[in-house]
Amino acid sequence: MFRVIASKMIVPNMHLLTLAAPAVAREAKPGQFVILRAEEEGERVPLSLSDWDAQSGTITVVFMSIGSTTGRLALLAPGASIPTVVGPLGNATEIENYGTVVCVCGCYGIGSIFPIARALKRKGNRVITIMEARSSYLFYWEERLEAVSDKIIHITRDGTKGHRGHAGRLPEILRGLEEPVDRIIVNGCTFLMKRTSDETRPLGVKTMVSLNPIMIDGTGMCGVCRVTVGSVTRFACVHGPDFDGHQVDWEELLQRRKTYMPEEVVPLRTSRCEERHLRSQEGKS
Amino acid sequence: MNLNSVSQILDFAIEKEEEAAQFYRDLAAKMGQQHVGEVFESFAREELEHKAKLLAVRHGNMTLIDSQRVTNLKIGDHLVEIVLSPDLEYKQALIIAMKAEKAAFRLYQDLASSTDDANLKGILLTLAKEEARHKLRFEIEYEENFLREN
Amino acid sequence: MSESEKKKYDLRRREMPKQPPEVRRYNFSEVALGYSVESAVEEAKRCIQCKKPLCIPMCPVEINIPAFIKSIAERDFVGAVRILKDKNCLPAVCGRVCPQEEQCEKTCIFHKKGGQIAIGRLERFLADWEAQQRELEMPEILPSSGRKIAVVGGGPAGLTVAGDLIKLGHKVTVFEALHRMGGVLIYGIPEFRLPKVIVTREVEYLRKLGVELVTDFVVGKTRTIDSILEEFDAVFVGSGAGLPWFMEIPGENLNGVYSANEYLTRLNLMKGFLFPKYHTPVKSHLRVAVVGGGNVAMDCARSALRLGAESRIIYRRSREELPARLEEVENAEEEGVIFDFLTLPLRYIGDENGWVKAIECQKMELGEPDASGRRKPIPIEGSEVTYPLDAVVCAIGNSPNPLIGATTPGLKIGKKGNIEADEKTGATSREKVWAGGDVVTGAATVILAMGAGRFAARSIHEYLCSL
Repeated sequence: MFRVIASKMIVPNMHLLTLAAPAVAREAKPGQFVILRAEEEGERVPLSLSDWDAQSGTITVVFMSIGSTTGRLALLAPGASIPTVVGPLGNATEIENYGTVVCVCGCYGIGSIFPIARALKRKGNRVITIMEARSSYLFYWEERLEAVSDKIIHITRDGTKGHRGHAGRLPEILRGLEEPVDRIIVNGCTFLMKRTSDETRPLGVKTMVSLNPIMIDGTGMCGVCRVTVGSVTRFACVHGPDFDGHQVDWEELLQRRKTYMPEEVVPLRTSRCEERHLRSQEGKS
Repeated sequence: MNLNSVSQILDFAIEKEEEAAQFYRDLAAKMGQQHVGEVFESFAREELEHKAKLLAVRHGNMTLIDSQRVTNLKIGDHLVEIVLSPDLEYKQALIIAMKAEKAAFRLYQDLASSTDDANLKGILLTLAKEEARHKLRFEIEYEENFLREN
Repeated sequence: MSESEKKKYDLRRREMPKQPPEVRRYNFSEVALGYSVESAVEEAKRCIQCKKPLCIPMCPVEINIPAFIKSIAERDFVGAVRILKDKNCLPAVCGRVCPQEEQCEKTCIFHKKGGQIAIGRLERFLADWEAQQRELEMPEILPSSGRKIAVVGGGPAGLTVAGDLIKLGHKVTVFEALHRMGGVLIYGIPEFRLPKVIVTREVEYLRKLGVELVTDFVVGKTRTIDSILEEFDAVFVGSGAGLPWFMEIPGENLNGVYSANEYLTRLNLMKGFLFPKYHTPVKSHLRVAVVGGGNVAMDCARSALRLGAESRIIYRRSREELPARLEEVENAEEEGVIFDFLTLPLRYIGDENGWVKAIECQKMELGEPDASGRRKPIPIEGSEVTYPLDAVVCAIGNSPNPLIGATTPGLKIGKKGNIEADEKTGATSREKVWAGGDVVTGAATVILAMGAGRFAARSIHEYLCSL
């Protein structure tokens, strides 16, 4: 069992969970993820690592409460335990001295890009972080990112901070930097990554994305996380999760992520009391 | 491409075997997994053996035997073209080889139908059969290793 | 056998009670119900206790078969269990999934007359009987040797190594990537063939013997083998063959196309057949096709049936060549699985939303026999046929996961991605590293993995004693 050290909602619907997982904390690298189960009957879900402390043996994940499992994770209190935390899974993000790297992030990607930006800075890169959200109240970890970035730019749908708009503003923002960009890294929801890749393709800048298909085991056993990258089928859990955004078949990824939408709603509509009742009935039969 | 005599055809075929060997050697060097690299190296060696056989025929030390009909298991035909990448597995290496041999077979078949010279036609069809036999060898290996449960 | 001899011997195999097909096709409960005590004793009495038993050499784990059968016949079940568990630490599992018909029962002296002793059923009977007893007899454990062994993979091979070495006084830790121990026993074989409560029980037995069981630990990611060797004296790799094969035909990434691993893991490990009580979603399909003919394919097809779908097996060869256990094929046929033999999928056809809606196949015929005498299937031109469906499960095989090979320098890997290991000892190209089971041979049976585990344990023990 893995103990919850800290659990809080950092901005509306975005939650932070710090767990005691010493084996994972010891090996964790930027860009990797863990698979969690919130309870015995729970699903296995992948969450990117946003921070870790090998000394104290803890890891931190940032996630949006969007389904039954993330919903339950969000309700955990410090001292509670969850049955599964396995990792670190996936390949670490490639970190070299590229020159100038633009880190584009939104949603839970703001959390997961933090260790990447930190590692890039340590490697001597000039780091420009572009954070995107619907509105300014959804930004978090700004101080943390400021500490590891040479520049921070904001984009908000409603214009409450920084540029008004969404990823479509990127080409003009990148031009406005008036400096060559050597690499772009995007963490966030599928639409952000897709849109960013579409916008940067004509600019010819390598754009790395962190894909988020459905997963079960996370070790290459089941193939449900398969994505098409440059006409080759890849398993995101073992070949990724980072891939070249310009080569990803985004339509296919979006379509595959919808596979269980009807079923995912069912646990959301079943109350905990009803669930307990159903389980106690099963015990009797 | 000048294929007006048996010796010119043989030279062409010898060149093709060398190209095939090079193709596999290049792939071997790109493989991320060593054991798959070794698979492509072994394919390259096989192409060189074919080349040596054709060289022997070219220099009159051997004749090409016109074998009977070669079985076509048609295993690779409906499979997708494997996109070359460093992460190939043994299974995919065999599919690449099957398709390459089939393409070579087609080439000789097409050349054979484009000539009326009986002698030239004969040698081209024999070369086609050689390629068909190479394809069969890969098909059998694929079947034995990857079609055990199907 | 002469007529008088036939009269002397009881050649009637006692029937195994089973759920009737029309009932069991709707539930995930175990199909075979097990012998009653009386049936077991009757069956055991049939065994003539050959002086030179032909069954023992066919058992990959060398169980003293006539001895445990004799004890059953004498109603000394405690004694029988002791003999059985001396060689087999997972008897309830083996009694259910071992292909005895290809092994010990095949060479039984009564086989020619169809009266071979039902060794598997007796093994299962004993294991189940023991489980019902209040106190389990613990075997003798030798004094601590001070040596530590790490086992990678909590499947049959790894659990056997753990069971053997713990009794010899060594400390054993099993590292398992998933959240439950058992490997294929827990994720691959369905509930109706192998109830998971049995796997849990067998694993608990190992815990009681003192084996340390660590789940959620991916060797190669959480820690490498080299890192583990800094703390342990030896490592056994039993990580199995879990990398799924796909057909490599167009449309493979459409929604509704599963690997057998995914399909079975959702149902077995994640208990998806109890969705939504268990949260891993499983879809209700109307028509499912399973491509393949092995035990895995049968498991998938029979599971699909139980979930309420029309279920068909699409197999490239004929019924005689199905690699699955005959018993499972017959069970599938009784339950109503449709079989399409000599059929090969060419491509998946999708709808406008990216869901599979049909599969186009080609019919095959058996060609001339090849050098080995086997007739190979050859496609019939122009015989294309399309089956409408909403799910396809690819159950055509697996190979070993490349993770261990990629993270252990100096470990020799064969062309099929398997770890190269000595047939008799399981020793690999790395000192202190042994391997056995599917990771060495490619996908095979539970009992062969256990046999490999037994040999490796012996070799590891010799090595540890020499330190």
